[in-house]
Amino acid sequence: MISSKKKLPAMRILLTKAIFTMVLMCIAGTAFAHGERNQEPFLRMKTLHWYDMQWSVANDATVQVNDEVTMTGKVHFFSRWPEIISWPDTVFLGNATPGPVFVRKETYLNGVPMIQSTAVEPGRVYDFKVILKARIPGRHHVHPMFNVKSAGGLVGPGIWVNVAGDADDFVYSITTRTGVVIDNLGTYGVENVVKWHLIWAGFAVFWLIWWFRRPLIIQRYLLVKQGNWKELITNNDRKLAVLLLVSIITLIIYANDITREAYPRTIPLQGSKSEVDPSPDLNDGRVVVKNLLAEYYLPGRTVLIKAQVTNNAKSAIQLGEFTAANLRFINKSVPAAVKGVQDGYPEELMANDTLGVSDPSPIQPGETRVFMIEATDAAWETERLSSLLNDPDSSYGALLFFYTEEGERIVSEIYGQILPTFFD
Amino acid sequence: MAVTQNEVVQPQAIKPWKFNLKPMIIGMIILIGIFGLARWYQQWAAWDYGLDATDPMFDVYWMQVFWGEIIIEVILFFTFVGYLWMTRDKHLNNLSPRVELTRLMLWISMLVVYAFAFYFAGSFYAEQDATWHQTVVRDTSFTPSHIFLFYMSMPVFIILGFSLFFYAITRLPFFARKISVSLVIVVCGPFMLLPTVGYNEWGHAFWLMEEYFTVPLHWGFVFFGWTIIALSGVLIQVMKYMIELLPQVTNSKGELTS
Amino acid sequence: MSLTADEAQLLSAVNTPNSDAAKISRGLDMFVVAILFFAIIAAFHIHFMLTVGDWDFWVDWKDRMYWVTLTPMLLIFIPAALSYPFMQKFGLPISGTLCALCLAIGEWISRYFGFHLWTYFPFSMVWPAIVIPSLMIMDLILLLSRNLFITSIFGGSAVAFAFAPTNWPILAPYHIPVVHMDQLVNVADMIGYSFTRTATPEYLRFIERGTLRTFGGESTIISTFFSAFVCMILYFVWWKIGEWLTNLGTIPNVLKEYVGLGDDKNDK
Repeated sequence: MISSKKKLPAMRILLTKAIFTMVLMCIAGTAFAHGERNQEPFLRMKTLHWYDMQWSVANDATVQVNDEVTMTGKVHFFSRWPEIISWPDTVFLGNATPGPVFVRKETYLNGVPMIQSTAVEPGRVYDFKVILKARIPGRHHVHPMFNVKSAGGLVGPGIWVNVAGDADDFVYSITTRTGVVIDNLGTYGVENVVKWHLIWAGFAVFWLIWWFRRPLIIQRYLLVKQGNWKELITNNDRKLAVLLLVSIITLIIYANDITREAYPRTIPLQGSKSEVDPSPDLNDGRVVVKNLLAEYYLPGRTVLIKAQVTNNAKSAIQLGEFTAANLRFINKSVPAAVKGVQDGYPEELMANDTLGVSDPSPIQPGETRVFMIEATDAAWETERLSSLLNDPDSSYGALLFFYTEEGERIVSEIYGQILPTFFD
Repeated sequence: MAVTQNEVVQPQAIKPWKFNLKPMIIGMIILIGIFGLARWYQQWAAWDYGLDATDPMFDVYWMQVFWGEIIIEVILFFTFVGYLWMTRDKHLNNLSPRVELTRLMLWISMLVVYAFAFYFAGSFYAEQDATWHQTVVRDTSFTPSHIFLFYMSMPVFIILGFSLFFYAITRLPFFARKISVSLVIVVCGPFMLLPTVGYNEWGHAFWLMEEYFTVPLHWGFVFFGWTIIALSGVLIQVMKYMIELLPQVTNSKGELTS
Repeated sequence: MSLTADEAQLLSAVNTPNSDAAKISRGLDMFVVAILFFAIIAAFHIHFMLTVGDWDFWVDWKDRMYWVTLTPMLLIFIPAALSYPFMQKFGLPISGTLCALCLAIGEWISRYFGFHLWTYFPFSMVWPAIVIPSLMIMDLILLLSRNLFITSIFGGSAVAFAFAPTNWPILAPYHIPVVHMDQLVNVADMIGYSFTRTATPEYLRFIERGTLRTFGGESTIISTFFSAFVCMILYFVWWKIGEWLTNLGTIPNVLKEYVGLGDDKNDK
């Protein structure tokens, strides 16, 4: 009896370990991130905040090669933009995918085409839209992304998209301004490139064989030493050299002539910048938030913030959501906030527990209230945001979503130092 | 010494000349095997397990490969160099020219293998590094590209380079009598590509956050890549060696005399 | 300069057809060709990719200013350095051609296995520039002149003068205008935009973006002319570097007594 009692916990531990390993394999076998987890949290939290994300397909849906996938949403550029990163006056909207497994078909920021880079204003919000076209079959994680000059890629939340079909069936056809129809952008002009490479390689191979067919090293070394240049470079060599020189120059001239005829209208690479205005500031001082104290409680994986909120709006407000670096903490007692969670939002970025608010009653117009916000989830660890305690700047940044009684959302920034609590 | 040799060797004992290509061919096949396998592994594991260094699967599929190759390479380096030194010819002053010529030709044929290994590091895996990092977000020094470029391709040619150097100074009197500066540069210059990784990683961590391949933090590799020009110096020294050696084993009609 | 007795004997030996010496000599030739082939691909390619690689990798980097200016300049380093030993020691005017061919081979292999198979880029985006005619003209001028100064001026500059016209026939189709999302771009821009290069966005391209004074849009000609000037100097400088690296001597071997060469008197 005693021995069987002892065995039971041992087996349970074994079983638990096995299940844990399997779960780990399941979770870990799927790379959720595109390297952004190793970017310093204080930079991730104080640069871009993505919200209202919508994908045209469900998470883990399957599309066919050539099908389109659209991502839309809002992106907020943090007003306390980190000083060590350049001001975001050169940014580029794109997609973080495993390379060109999708073709980037169209991108818009506040309705402005984003084929070129642009400048944005920190503290402001922009609507973005990215339209992709499936190209390479496989299971791909698809995120929106902004490249910010001197900072690199800042990645938004991503979902899984399975692409089925055959990569050879992919076509991307465009018509040029001169009326030429390009059947497939991926193979356009390649035949011509290969042809000219082969022609010129032919010249090189001929010239090298011309020399390599003769004894090369020892004889020629001794002939040089002897000063016997007549034998080293014969009259035939010289005649051939002249012939080749003339041929090469003639061929270059001829090639340019036929190219000029074939492509009379060309333009250089376009290097301009797009101009885009930010969306109107819907907060506009209606809710003013101040960070009084923030702590990261390590054992509980909890961020605790003592905040002071002043409601200058015309109706009472409630805190519905806290979001930082794509992690979302929802106050489940606020229906509008719960409604704001889109179907298919990546589960690993959603906190399981509700956002804790020490005084949940609505903040009345004109009222200033100090209360505690508690955001708890293991995602602080898995998304490596807790590593901010190892960084040279222990500060954080986040967005707070307040909801009026009418269900209107007012977005505020909160930022400040964050202090670690290491023990219970 | 050559005179002594001519006196000793009987004319009927002259063996016909034959190039020993076996070590070179085996070496090249092994290299194709190693680098081909690595390339296949990248295709298989890079996109699924190599994008996120914080993922436990990254440790399984990539960091274990990294540690495995580092351990094997250190062992191989000391085994090769140690073996060549321990089994050195202790009587190079008493070497027959024919044996010397055979050794020299073997050494030159193995230079082909060294150059072949350098090709994989300097061209194949190096440019592949560009396409990987310009396509994904870099989040560690040990990416699926680096694990095979810096920590496999480079050590492979370093092991071969040092082995060739030690072969030369332990078996070829011309290179043992005095150390060839060109040979040192041809071996140590490419070797320095590996320590230059320190500059590269420092640059990527603290200096330039974006990915284009012509960044100044890559120019350390360029500088040490230039050292391969010193191969011409080695070639000239081989010429001098041949001029010294060949007349001892052939007559003016080109027939072998020993 | 006359040969020593040993050298004269050797020359006669290796020149005797089908002799053992000729076979050994030809075998050595083959080894050397193989060594040079792989070593030049490696050394020239790593130099090239890390100095002007981005312009060579991507079709939407091949602009009229930086690509045309920088590529010939960086192209000339190693072929010029190797011209010295090839020509001065072996009378072979092939350094440029060999380097150019090796580079093209290394690049195509890498574009296929790396850019195309591994990271899914289409060939229309990642084809390499043609450099063979540029460097071959340099060789031919060296052969005809056998003079460092003349080759520096005419051969060096030819590398730049031939570069843009050689590549225009393959680049022109990519510079046709396209209107996409009501924006004017060319086909190369369009390819660069479409096939996601996650970590190398549009703004990172070092391309001509206008300076208010490129004199009637003759950017390519201005870039070529400047490049040609620098190439002349670089050819000379790198020839000298090649000379230095070829003629490095020896240093004493402190370990030689361990291989039986301790006593110099007993050495050969």
